[in-house]
Amino acid sequence: MSEYVNALMICLQPVNLLLIVAMVSLGIVFGAIPGLSATLGIALLLPVTFGLSTETSFVLLLAIWIGGVSGTFISAVLIGIPGSSSAIATCFDGFPMTKNGQAGKALGIGMTASFIGTVGSVALATVLSPVIAEFALHLGPWEYFSLCFCAITLIASLSKGNIFKGIMAAGIGLLMGCIGMDPINGATRFIFGNVYLSSGISTVAQMLGMFAMCQIIRDSAKGDTQMPEADVVNMKGLGVGLKDIFENIKTILFAFASGLWIGFLPGMGSGISNMVAYGYAKSISKDPESFGKGNPAGVWASETANNASLGGALIPMMALGIPGDGITAMLIAGLTIHGLQAGPLFMTEQPNLAMLIFACVMVSAIVTYLIQIVTKRWFPYILKVPYHYLYTVILVICYIGGYGISNTMFNIYVMLALCLLAVFMSVAGLPTSPLVLAFILSSKLERYFRQGISYAHGSYKEFFTRPISATLLLVSVFCVVWPFLSDYLKKKKAA
Amino acid sequence: MKMRRDTVTGIVGLLGCAFFLFMTQSIRQPAKLLEPGPRLLPYVAIALIAMSSVALLIQGYKDRAKEEKPYFPKGGVGKVTKSYLMLVVYAAAMTFLGFLITTPFATFAFIYDLKGVSKVKVVPAIIISILVTAGLYAMFVYGFQVKLPAGSLFE
Repeated sequence: MSEYVNALMICLQPVNLLLIVAMVSLGIVFGAIPGLSATLGIALLLPVTFGLSTETSFVLLLAIWIGGVSGTFISAVLIGIPGSSSAIATCFDGFPMTKNGQAGKALGIGMTASFIGTVGSVALATVLSPVIAEFALHLGPWEYFSLCFCAITLIASLSKGNIFKGIMAAGIGLLMGCIGMDPINGATRFIFGNVYLSSGISTVAQMLGMFAMCQIIRDSAKGDTQMPEADVVNMKGLGVGLKDIFENIKTILFAFASGLWIGFLPGMGSGISNMVAYGYAKSISKDPESFGKGNPAGVWASETANNASLGGALIPMMALGIPGDGITAMLIAGLTIHGLQAGPLFMTEQPNLAMLIFACVMVSAIVTYLIQIVTKRWFPYILKVPYHYLYTVILVICYIGGYGISNTMFNIYVMLALCLLAVFMSVAGLPTSPLVLAFILSSKLERYFRQGISYAHGSYKEFFTRPISATLLLVSVFCVVWPFLSDYLKKKKAA
Repeated sequence: MKMRRDTVTGIVGLLGCAFFLFMTQSIRQPAKLLEPGPRLLPYVAIALIAMSSVALLIQGYKDRAKEEKPYFPKGGVGKVTKSYLMLVVYAAAMTFLGFLITTPFATFAFIYDLKGVSKVKVVPAIIISILVTAGLYAMFVYGFQVKLPAGSLFE
């Protein structure tokens, strides 16, 4: 508790509070503009953190994350285009509310639901993470290997479209993780005589090349850089009161619980939770026909769930060192830049920093809500920022970030190569999330597997005889088999 | 007949696997290890890519008669190639001339490349290019203490 209070005090120091306000505002802008995202914001900020203290770096990264995730509802409500996949369901009723002249109320619901989802889930994550981390300390390399394996399998099998594309992307991520020295013997792999490659591919170069640069040139080539005008009236006040919250309390509670759980599972996250919660809200409604025509319950469900996923994703990241999605993978990369490793040891050996992360997320959520209340009437103007100026600035920042990794041009060329790979992957329909997760987890996966076998004197048996490890491996097998089994059962039922 | 994207992905995947399988043989494997050694993860990754490539080849063959929507609209491939080449040229120019000389030109070029159907006036674009360069330079070099390339010709 004292660590948490100390962490809160650090966040509330004037400089840090000012940084939180600035980064949350930037995050809201990134979240609101379709095509930009919290992920992109964090990728661009990672190089900035090289010269900063660990505390300041995390204040920056976490604040832009919270602002970015929360801001996605703005474009969903005002122009019917979600800021990211986490706000798809918000469009279903948020935009019709705008068309019905209720833009102010829809935005108010989005802001309040985001606040409830984030604050509640982060409070739970703060309480649960140390308990899970304490338990995780008793696990051996066998369980950790199975956990990493399960995370990669889950995210690959849940990839959009084809499971084989997810597996292929994960394979590419593992292969990229092999570049450099191996984590046990220090043998060099795939460095092609290049000394810069012996320390492996930089995570920052990967994020900048595969997310930021690729997205910009791809969107530009696809012509996805024009936005419709937002037509809004009646933007005064918050637009919602306690009465609205109590009227939708059942929806909010379910959305919160489902969002938290889905966020906890690797590979799922807010992109799925908002749809699940929306479906539930519709199913329990006395007036399901009104959904899709501007029912406020749809916005409550979607926005509470996608923000609750944020706290859910924090738990495995902090307690186990397992990133649940692309954003938490980047936050783990941020920790690595400062010589820290997320996981149970981090929670026990660096409790002050661990609590700072939770406290910063909490303060950022409150600041986000306050900023949104004050600036609500200007939201439509965010959507008028010309893409060609914004994207140009982002491209130049990518180069600065690439150079800043090691003060050489080498990482800029790595970034360009990875950008090209990401463009080819997009064309081929290969998802990037399994690649990023597999890349981040590759060294852990390999180290735990090889350590497990070494400790068991060359035996593989322990992976299957230890209950937790065996259960996780079974879950992994189920994840791979289920899509095929489900298809087979559907066909059989249809026949 | 035009090949489906899945088929092309499968072929490229298998070719990549063959290359990396060959490269994996050259990884030094320490003797008398109790564990599988440094070649294990590359083999696992290659196996996953190879398996998926074969599955995509089969999928592509099964769907060969189906119509496939192009990923980029008309002219998109040319546009993405042009944008990518601009990025490469900017990197190459920055290597020799440094950040401060190349960035205003690159920024100006990017603004025009990314403008789509929007109208951009030359003078404001030039002013913005210079301001962006100066602003980012000041922010990163003086604010965040991040070094920027000076250019090999001036070092």
